[in-house]
Amino acid sequence: MKKLLVVDDEMEICEFLKLFFEERGFLVDTALTGQDAVALVESKHPHVILLDINMPGMDGMMTLKLVKQKYPQVKVIMVTALETREKIEEAMRAGADNYITKPLSLEYLEKDVQEKVAHLALSNQPSA
Amino acid sequence: MGASLFVFGACTIYLLPFLPKNFSGAKWIAHPLFPVFLMTLICIAAYKPLDFFYSEIFKRVLFKRKSFIHMSLIHLAEELRLVLDLQELANLVVNTFGEVLHLKMVAMVVPNLAKESFEIASGFGWSVTDYRRVHLAQNAALISLIQESGPHVLVRNSVVRAEAWQEANRLAHEFDMLQAGWIIPLFLKENLVGLLGFSAEQSDRTFDKTDFHFFREFAAALAKNVHNALTVRELKAANLELQDTQSRLVQAAKLSAIEQLATGLAHEIHNPLTIISGKAQILLLQKERAPLDERVEEVLKTIVKQTKRAADITRKLLMFSQGSGAPKEMLRLEQVLQDTLALVSYQTSLEGIELTQSIGPNIPRLYANVHEIREVFLNLVLNAVQSIGARGGKIHVEIRYLNRERIIEIQVSDTGRGIEKENVEKLFNPFFTTRHDALGLGLFVTKQIIHRYGGSIRVESRAREGSLFIICFSDAQTFATGSTEENASLPSLYLSQEQ
Repeated sequence: MKKLLVVDDEMEICEFLKLFFEERGFLVDTALTGQDAVALVESKHPHVILLDINMPGMDGMMTLKLVKQKYPQVKVIMVTALETREKIEEAMRAGADNYITKPLSLEYLEKDVQEKVAHLALSNQPSA
Repeated sequence: MGASLFVFGACTIYLLPFLPKNFSGAKWIAHPLFPVFLMTLICIAAYKPLDFFYSEIFKRVLFKRKSFIHMSLIHLAEELRLVLDLQELANLVVNTFGEVLHLKMVAMVVPNLAKESFEIASGFGWSVTDYRRVHLAQNAALISLIQESGPHVLVRNSVVRAEAWQEANRLAHEFDMLQAGWIIPLFLKENLVGLLGFSAEQSDRTFDKTDFHFFREFAAALAKNVHNALTVRELKAANLELQDTQSRLVQAAKLSAIEQLATGLAHEIHNPLTIISGKAQILLLQKERAPLDERVEEVLKTIVKQTKRAADITRKLLMFSQGSGAPKEMLRLEQVLQDTLALVSYQTSLEGIELTQSIGPNIPRLYANVHEIREVFLNLVLNAVQSIGARGGKIHVEIRYLNRERIIEIQVSDTGRGIEKENVEKLFNPFFTTRHDALGLGLFVTKQIIHRYGGSIRVESRAREGSLFIICFSDAQTFATGSTEENASLPSLYLSQEQ
C-alpha cells in the first residue's frame, strides 16, 4: 500500500488532498502542524510527504530537516505559496525532493507523487 | 623736465630782439655770453615750479588710475558679501581682478575637504578643462610655505630664488601649475581658505608696495566671503546627503511594509485559492467515472483557470516586494515591462485607462537588478495613472533601441493633467508631491535608480495635456557586459517576438 502524509495548517486543503489521493489508492494521513507530522512519520512511516512550508509553530522547513535527519529515504514534496529562490534553494539543500506552488495542479501533483513512489519501489527492490 | 627748460630758454633767445628799444641799446645785451647767462638764470628760477607742476600732473594721471583700480576692487569685495554661491563668487573675483589689473591669467583656488586637496574654482584666461585638472595636495610645498609665511603676497621669482634648489624646483613647478607669477593667500584668522594666483601679460610687470598692501587688504575682505561660500557649500552637501538618507529610510520602511503585506497577502490568498481550485479539479477529474454536464465542466474549468490567474497576480506583487538585494542579471526590459503592466492592468481597466505598449526590435539586455527596473516602470506607470485620475485616458509605453547612438530609450506618455511649468524642475526632488496622500518619493527614487545605471531621465509636459517621460540608458557598458552566449541568443529571441 502506498502511504502518503499531507501536512498543511489549512484543514480544507488536507481534506481534499486526502480525498483525492484515497480515490487513487493511497493510504493518506493528515497533520495540521509540524509536530504532528513528525510524530506521524515515526508511527506510520509514509513513503511520500506533502509538506506546506508556511505553518504556525514548527514550520515546513524545520519539519523537513527533522524528518530527513531521521528518515532520509522518505520523499518530501514541499508545497508553497512563496516560491522565492532562497526558500526553494534552502529546502533543496535540506533534502527536499521537489517543490510545487499553490494553487496546486492536481494532475501534476499526482504524477509527481506516483513517480516518487515508483522510484522508492525500484530502489527498494534489490534489497528486498 | 630738461626739455621744457630748453624750450623756455630757446623762446627767450628768440624773443630777445623784440625787447624794448632802451634795453636793446645796452652793450651788455650784445655780449655773446648773455643768452647763456639768461638761460641759466631762467633754468634756476623755473626748476622748482616746473618740477612741482610735472610731479603734480604725473601723480594725478597715475594715481587716478590706481585709485580707480583700488576702488573697483574694494567695490567688488563689498558686492561679494552678498554672493554665497562659491562658483559665482569665484567667477566674479577672477574676472574682475583679471580685467581691472589687465592680467593674463587669474585662478581662484579653494580647498576641497573631501579630496584633501586644493582645486581651482574658477579661472580667468583658463579653459575649464585645463583648470579642472589642477590639484594641489594639502601638503604641497606651496601650501606649506603659505601656512608658514602667513598672508604675505608671494612673488614667484623671489620665492624661487630664496629657496634651496630642490625646494625651489618644487615651488616653481607648483607656481607653474597654477600659471601664477604672484599668489595672494586668503587667510581668515589662521585658516587658509583659498589662494588667488595670477600672472601678467608682460613678463617685466611689477607691483609696488602700495599694490601689495592693497592686495592684502583685498585678500582679507575676500577671505571672509570665501569662507562663507565654503560653509554654504558644505551645508548644501550635508543637506543633500541628509535628504538622500531620509528618503532611503522612508523607502526602506515602505518597502519592508509592502514586503510584509505582500507575503501575508500571498499566504492568505493562496490558501483559499488552493482550496477552490483543488475542489474544482476534484470534480473535474470525476468525469472519468461519470460524464459531467458540458456547462458544469465549462464552469469548473473557468474556476481553475481564474484561480490560477488570481494567484499569478499575488505572486507578481510578491515578486515586486522582494529581491531589492538580488544580484544583477541580464534583463529583458520588455519582460520586466510586461510583468509590471500585468500588475497595474486591473487598476487601469477600472479607471477606463487604455494601456498600450510598443517594443522595438533588437533591444539589448540591460545588466541590472530586476527589482529596481521593475520599480522604475511601476513608478512611472503609477504616476501616469494618478495623473489621469478617474476620468479615463491613455498611457503608452515604448521601448526602442537607437542603433547609432547606442541608446535604449524608454518613453512613458500619458494624457493626464500634465505638470505645471513651475513644478517641472521640482518633479524629481525628494518629498515633492502635488497630492495629499503621497510621499513624493516615487520619481525621486526612479531617478536615483536610473542614475545608478548611468542613465538619464527627463520629462516633457504641458499642463492639462499630458506628460512624456523619457529614460535613456546610454552607457554601453551597462548592456554590453553580457556573455557572448547571451548575445548570440538575442536574434532568435527577437525574431520570435516580431512574428
